[in-house]
Amino acid sequence: MLKKSLRKTHRKTLANEQSSSKDIKLKESDIQSNLEKTIDSFKSIYSYPDNQDVVFRSIEISGINKKSTILFINTITDSKALEDYVIGPLLNNKGSSQKVEDIIMIQSIERISKVGEIITQINQGNAALFVEGENHAYLLGAAKFESRSVEKAQNENVVKGPKEGFNEKATTNISLIRKRVKSESLVVESLMISKRSKNDVFIVYEKDLVSDKLLQNVKNRVNALDVDAIQNLSLLEQYIEERKYSIFPTILYTERPDRATSFIEDGYIVLLMDNSPDALVLPATFWSFYHTSEEHYLRFPYGNFTRLLRILALFITLFTSSLYVAVVTYHSEMVPPDLLLAIAATREKVPFPAAVEVFIMEFAFELIREAGLRVPSPIGPTIGIVGALILGQAAVQANIVSPIVVIIVALGGLSSFAIGDISMNFTVRISRFLLLFSASFMGLYGITALFTMGIFYMVSIKSFGVPYLSPLTPSYASSGDKIFRKVLQKEMLRPGYLKPKDLKKR
Amino acid sequence: MEQSKQLIGIKEYIAIVLLMVGTKVTDNTPSILFEYIKNAGWMAPIINGLITIIPIYLLIKVFTNYKGKSLVEVSDHLFGKFFSFIILLTILLVAFVAVIVDTAIYTDIIGTMYFTKTPTIIIYGILMLVCAYGATRGFEQIGSVAWTVFPYLQVSLFLALILTIGQGNAAFLFPILGDGAWDVVKESSLRLSIYADFLYLFLFYPYIKSVKVFKKGTWLALMFIIINISITMVCYIFLFDYKTIMQLNYPYHEVIRTISLGFIINMEAFFLPFWLIASFVRFSIYLYINAILLGHLFKIKHFEYLIPSLATLVVFIGMIPENPTFIIFDIKEKLLLIATPLFFLLPFLMWLIAKLKGEFKHANKRDIR
Repeated sequence: MLKKSLRKTHRKTLANEQSSSKDIKLKESDIQSNLEKTIDSFKSIYSYPDNQDVVFRSIEISGINKKSTILFINTITDSKALEDYVIGPLLNNKGSSQKVEDIIMIQSIERISKVGEIITQINQGNAALFVEGENHAYLLGAAKFESRSVEKAQNENVVKGPKEGFNEKATTNISLIRKRVKSESLVVESLMISKRSKNDVFIVYEKDLVSDKLLQNVKNRVNALDVDAIQNLSLLEQYIEERKYSIFPTILYTERPDRATSFIEDGYIVLLMDNSPDALVLPATFWSFYHTSEEHYLRFPYGNFTRLLRILALFITLFTSSLYVAVVTYHSEMVPPDLLLAIAATREKVPFPAAVEVFIMEFAFELIREAGLRVPSPIGPTIGIVGALILGQAAVQANIVSPIVVIIVALGGLSSFAIGDISMNFTVRISRFLLLFSASFMGLYGITALFTMGIFYMVSIKSFGVPYLSPLTPSYASSGDKIFRKVLQKEMLRPGYLKPKDLKKR
Repeated sequence: MEQSKQLIGIKEYIAIVLLMVGTKVTDNTPSILFEYIKNAGWMAPIINGLITIIPIYLLIKVFTNYKGKSLVEVSDHLFGKFFSFIILLTILLVAFVAVIVDTAIYTDIIGTMYFTKTPTIIIYGILMLVCAYGATRGFEQIGSVAWTVFPYLQVSLFLALILTIGQGNAAFLFPILGDGAWDVVKESSLRLSIYADFLYLFLFYPYIKSVKVFKKGTWLALMFIIINISITMVCYIFLFDYKTIMQLNYPYHEVIRTISLGFIINMEAFFLPFWLIASFVRFSIYLYINAILLGHLFKIKHFEYLIPSLATLVVFIGMIPENPTFIIFDIKEKLLLIATPLFFLLPFLMWLIAKLKGEFKHANKRDIR
């Protein structure tokens, strides 16, 4: 019986294969010169008339007297342009010996005869014009997808510097980059990455800078994808990254065209996609997550002041709560007596050990943060009241936590916002909890042990072959933009770990 | 993408050597020196450093003949399979005992000075866990970590020293020669093996970017180490005088307990993390050295996989002495005495055999096997 049923399912799959192979055969065939047959087959492909937004418009081309049909999907096509530059001229044509290309006034036109390619073009918003007696179709560029306009970047704010951010339309994003790099060596390649939804990814780089090996590596990684659909870059990032379980991000995600451009100019590769108001920059090092674009827009001392604040904030957010727990629990002799007495006095009425106390507050803080993110905006102010009053003041008055812990956690929480990059922010927040656990387990010894292991882990990460902490270690020729930046005139080198074709900036 | 093996640059190399040898000044090595040389103990690192130039010079001379070959391969080539096996086995044993002794000492330091109530096995276990993790990452990674943390460690040491000098008394340094010049030289040179780690550095010869980097790095590192160790030891005398320091087992930790900065009276918890990081990196390197040697001797190609079991073994053997503060101290003293001739004579032997075999004449024409 088992065999039988197996055979049955086997036969079924075979039948399936046949039907799909029929489909494939149709898509690989050329279109015929018989207009009606062609239109019929396209109608069956597009399930016309069930499919509401597919339009077949028959036209008799005047002048040359030929029957023709325009096929397009009206929700993603610019109907106004089609009317004015295609249908109008075709109907009003006077000359009798003109070619179709000469009648139509739309900006791009292309002859294609493969059915599959025509379908792809139509699905991308272009219109196809079939003319009787011709065994190819004219593909007219008239795509128009709905999208918002270029707006301010939402998450990476700057005070000084350009404000515009990427939006969900890849062509707009490319134009924003081209606006900044007016050079013929800027290449925008497109690759189809998904089998069913046919999502395109755009690989943007400067061909006389980027290392061929790196480019090939990225292309191989993208080409190797075998999935039905990848909607946007946030998903693509997870498909192409190396260490999927690691808490450290290895691909930079930015929504600022100026930032993406400065990376391209250094020999990095940028990926763009429709539906993604952002760009992926690869490879990424630890420093690229730590930097923001503003530090280079601000003058040298101001920019470095910001960097100093950020590195301090990074350490404060990582270590304050765990250090507090370690010192109070294991190393109380380290604290000066007066301060120790003050801490002891506030902790007197609290029934929990310091570790539990800090953990409760940290957890509450993360909850407020997450709730603030998800809450519908009309109810937003409630979160502030709940967070500040109930969790802060009332918890202290109820002797659940001591006031000093509120200060410690608030300081750590506040500092964590200084790390702007969302992925690195998560890394820091998760590590904070890990450090807190190790501190409550083994005090400073635990913190140091975990920290050392963390550094060992960090130096062994590679993003597309580039060590995570380079150029700090292993050292490479570069402008030395690590914790602090140099004066612009001294940042003369592109990062050597990318092996760019031209190392020196002029 | 295939992740190509990277070779180590000069910064990473120097950082590794400094952490390997320089960290010794923070355990009981200074006590051993002070015990015999009294208040001239700080001269021992300098005298030994000067003597050490000879074996290092000879080794470098031998090794520049063989491009990209490590200590084990050169030894195989010079001594032949059988004798090389015995020599390398001795080196391995010394290295292994050194790891056990040193980790036991460091565990004892943590246990007696900072975590008096914590069971030894937990302290030891965490120490070896971190080191084993670090060592399995690979040599380049150890180098990278060493260089990343090194500047901060050096700054913390300097801060400790500056505070020490401020609170110390320079007059304790006299009589400057202690028991007399001859005693100082004799007793120091008997403990030459505080620099024996330099012999093991030649295991890393193929991992270093170039011969030049190796030569320059080794000499620079030796210089830095001599300066670091002797200045630190001078500071110990400033603070404690020689009588006290002969009694102290772990002078560095007593120092950071004693010094204070403004309103912060006890600073040891501030210096502890830096010292811990240095120790973690140091023992990662030691474990890696042991794994290389063991892997070569018993023909285990992926020797990185040996590291976790080596680390476990170290924990269990290191736990055996009931009173590590005294027993291990004794063992370490003996080990220093035993390793000294090995460290001094082996380079001589290698150089002599290479010379007799006429290796230096046709240096670049010949390749081993």
